Amino acid sequence: MDCFLLAAACFGVGILTLFFPHSLQRAAHWLANLASLVGSGMVAAKAWQVLAGDGVEPLVWGSYSLGVDGWSAIFLLLTGIAGVITSIYALGYAQSYEGSRLRLLGGMWNLFLVSMVLVLLAGDAFSFLLFWEIMAVASFMLVNHESEKRSTWTAAYQYLVMTSVGTAAIMIAFLLTGSASADFSFGAMAQNKLTGWWQHAVFATAFIGFALKAGLVPLHVWLPNAHPAAPSHVSALMSGVMLKIALYGFGRFMFSFLSTWNYWWCVIVMLVGAVSAFLGVLYAQMENDIKRILAYSSVENMGVIFAAFGCGMLLKVLAGGNWCLLGFVAALVHAFNHSIMKVLMFMSAGSIMHGTGSKNIELFGGLARKMPYTALFTLVGSLALAAIPLTNGFTGEWLVLQSFITLASTNAAQSTRILVAICFILLGFTGALALGCFVRLYGISFLGRARSELVEHAHESDGFMLTAMGISSILVVACGLYPVPVVQTICNALSISKEFAAKDLALQWAGTGTLAVFNPVLLLILVAGIGLVIYLCTANVFVEENVTWNCGTYPTERQQYSATGFSKPVRRAFDYLLKPKRQVSYMRKDHAYFGRQLSYKLEIPDMITEKLYQPFQKRFVGISAFLRRLQQGSVRLYVSYVMAAMVLVLVWGALYK
Amino acid sequence: MMNLQNDLQSLVLCLAQAMLLLLVAPMITGIVKKVKALLQNRVGSSIFQEYYDIKKWWGKPTMITPYTSALFKMAPCVYFVTTLVAACMLPNFFGGKAGFGDVFVFVYILALGRFFMAVSSMDAATAFGGMGGSREVYIAAFVEPVIMLAVLSNVLHTGSTSLSGMALRFDTVNLTVAGVLTCIAFFLVMLAENSRIPVDNPDTHLELTMIHECMTLEYSGRLLALIHWASQLKLLMFLMLFSMLYLPLNLPVALKVLLSAVAVGVVETLNNKMRLFKVRVYLAAAGLMLLLAIVAQ
Repeated sequence: MDCFLLAAACFGVGILTLFFPHSLQRAAHWLANLASLVGSGMVAAKAWQVLAGDGVEPLVWGSYSLGVDGWSAIFLLLTGIAGVITSIYALGYAQSYEGSRLRLLGGMWNLFLVSMVLVLLAGDAFSFLLFWEIMAVASFMLVNHESEKRSTWTAAYQYLVMTSVGTAAIMIAFLLTGSASADFSFGAMAQNKLTGWWQHAVFATAFIGFALKAGLVPLHVWLPNAHPAAPSHVSALMSGVMLKIALYGFGRFMFSFLSTWNYWWCVIVMLVGAVSAFLGVLYAQMENDIKRILAYSSVENMGVIFAAFGCGMLLKVLAGGNWCLLGFVAALVHAFNHSIMKVLMFMSAGSIMHGTGSKNIELFGGLARKMPYTALFTLVGSLALAAIPLTNGFTGEWLVLQSFITLASTNAAQSTRILVAICFILLGFTGALALGCFVRLYGISFLGRARSELVEHAHESDGFMLTAMGISSILVVACGLYPVPVVQTICNALSISKEFAAKDLALQWAGTGTLAVFNPVLLLILVAGIGLVIYLCTANVFVEENVTWNCGTYPTERQQYSATGFSKPVRRAFDYLLKPKRQVSYMRKDHAYFGRQLSYKLEIPDMITEKLYQPFQKRFVGISAFLRRLQQGSVRLYVSYVMAAMVLVLVWGALYK
Repeated sequence: MMNLQNDLQSLVLCLAQAMLLLLVAPMITGIVKKVKALLQNRVGSSIFQEYYDIKKWWGKPTMITPYTSALFKMAPCVYFVTTLVAACMLPNFFGGKAGFGDVFVFVYILALGRFFMAVSSMDAATAFGGMGGSREVYIAAFVEPVIMLAVLSNVLHTGSTSLSGMALRFDTVNLTVAGVLTCIAFFLVMLAENSRIPVDNPDTHLELTMIHECMTLEYSGRLLALIHWASQLKLLMFLMLFSMLYLPLNLPVALKVLLSAVAVGVVETLNNKMRLFKVRVYLAAAGLMLLLAIVAQ
């Protein structure tokens, strides 16, 4: 435990940089980010030791306690790694905030990190909720950092409201569980005496609370607004780590407090996950704001993770036994991998914003020439998020698909098959749309010709940012080529025997005894070997450079496909879901046919916001307006209320003595 | 040590098979073309015409737009390599065990090639390229769920996700409703995946009809040869998968591949290319058949 406390002390030093005088803001910046770097490094190292079998004495203080077990150690490892990478990035990136609350950024950054570590360490309901709220407040402050912008301000307050609702739900879940057990420590709550409907109530509130934090549809609406508003390294940490902490909390409830699961809970978790994955990626392809694309992609990936988790639950309910933990392994492996690749992509987005000053991909094009390293790292991240083999994105995807196959083949019930088929359809859409989404993001921003002047002035990022992106790119590829340590560690943490994972990932199904194999290293040898041959064939090819044939005119950069145009077929194919509002108007003043000016406006409102939240909001505001009539500030009115209340009390007293 | 030797031996056998397929692939496309020509009352070109084309392109210089990045030259190589690697994963004639991937790896390794081709379509900064990439991505979005269902249906039938395991356990003798439905649906989705009529037309460069050809419009010379060769190999691979995992006829595989190639030619002659937004209906029909098959199994 000492190591974690020492790490917390490091973060504490970082928080104290808040109180540096203004003239020392640069020193505060360096100290804060170095403190978070060291602190995160210690957390990661210690978590790794815990996963390797090192026991940790819990720290008990009255009825409060801090402790680690296998389930939280995985998430501590993930937090530590992401913290180290993003802190290196912040050393360079946060410098651009010099003069605008740089000290606040550094301090809050440390508070955010330490609160996430402490949530994972919390061993009782009260400390969990306390640190959970600190995490929410710190992230709110960070989202609201550029509060001069109106959009930031709205996004931050929306986030605050939503996250409070989530916390309320989680609090109810804890209170219900705690009131049926001896006290509020996790150990005691694991022996709760919840029965019947109370169990359903705890599941419902916990699922709502944690799904809100994880950004599952329909509770995701805060996410695509909050992530773009925050500084990029903060978005990276929010997407990479904070969303996973929701999975941690949900898993804690499922594994410890609700040990017997209802069939329908599993189905709900699985389907909500799969639908989130599909809708998340569909909206991601419609967005032009690079950070909103990534935010929706987080909705997608959290969806995949929860679908796998639900599949694991269903496997356990229907099949039981050791083998059925495959679903949980898949969920955790994907969570771990997604954390690294999403951190990478948000850092790339930050790098692009830093270099060009915009986050609208319609304005980019040909950035690969101006920012070659960022281009390379973004390509790695894009491939990973499109779940392409040889990157770590595919490992998780493969395990997820295998766990669904296991579910379908170990349980012959018709209903299970239909469920798996539905999930396969949704995951199939998700995979292909994710590919399209990142083809679009990468192709429009980095390839072709510049679409605006921003690209002409673009510059490559500094050493710190490139180092951080380089480290995470290497991790993405390394975990893709050799996923065994990650899978093995996660199996250990869930205390599963090493049935799968030798030198390759081989799944020996319990029922059929056939082998499903995935060996990325052999795959790499093959790809590299054949690739070398091809390179030798084409390297000395005679190349002639000339402008593209464009029917006799020179091609202009405006003739390239735009990002909006690129996603048009998908938008049209799914128009019954997306309901795009488009408006085309012509300027009739000019020539009737030639050179006339067109204006094109396209808006894709978030369906959930429009259909679910806005009617609710309207109703709520309506009721509030009605209630306002009761309270107009007139003293005479209030006196009459008091009078009326007194009369009522007297009458009531007289009637029911 | 023993293990490593076995691995290497398997690797060599797999590569040998992939090379063999690579050599045969242009002829299969030639046969499809010949069938179409004969059905249209034409003599048509020789079934070896594709070899002459590849040879011709191989010797020609490559013309490249100055706006392109390094990715432009890389993409055809990646496409070719990934297709070849996927060919290594097919059930092996020589008895080698493809120990490095199952059907999901097969599907996703092809996605790697598709990613690079679609991305590079935007590199030459022309309108056609982007159009091709955009449409390719759209078609892929509807093809993939159907392929997933086809895989699921077959896994439920054979109880394995490795391609060789599926081929070994596939029951070619007993006709079932599920088997027939899966077979038809896979044939439909195979046409879409390989950019054939009625989804795409591989023979034209008309802007209204083309999808895959449109992506590759800016390529010439050796790079174009690589793309065409890889596409031919991909068609052969899918015909093989269709024959070995989906076609419930008790015949030798080579004969089944030839038969299905002829079937592709016949279907292409009898149908027109459909509108771009009709494709989703076409694929939804295939998907529904597979859902029925999954329930019926």
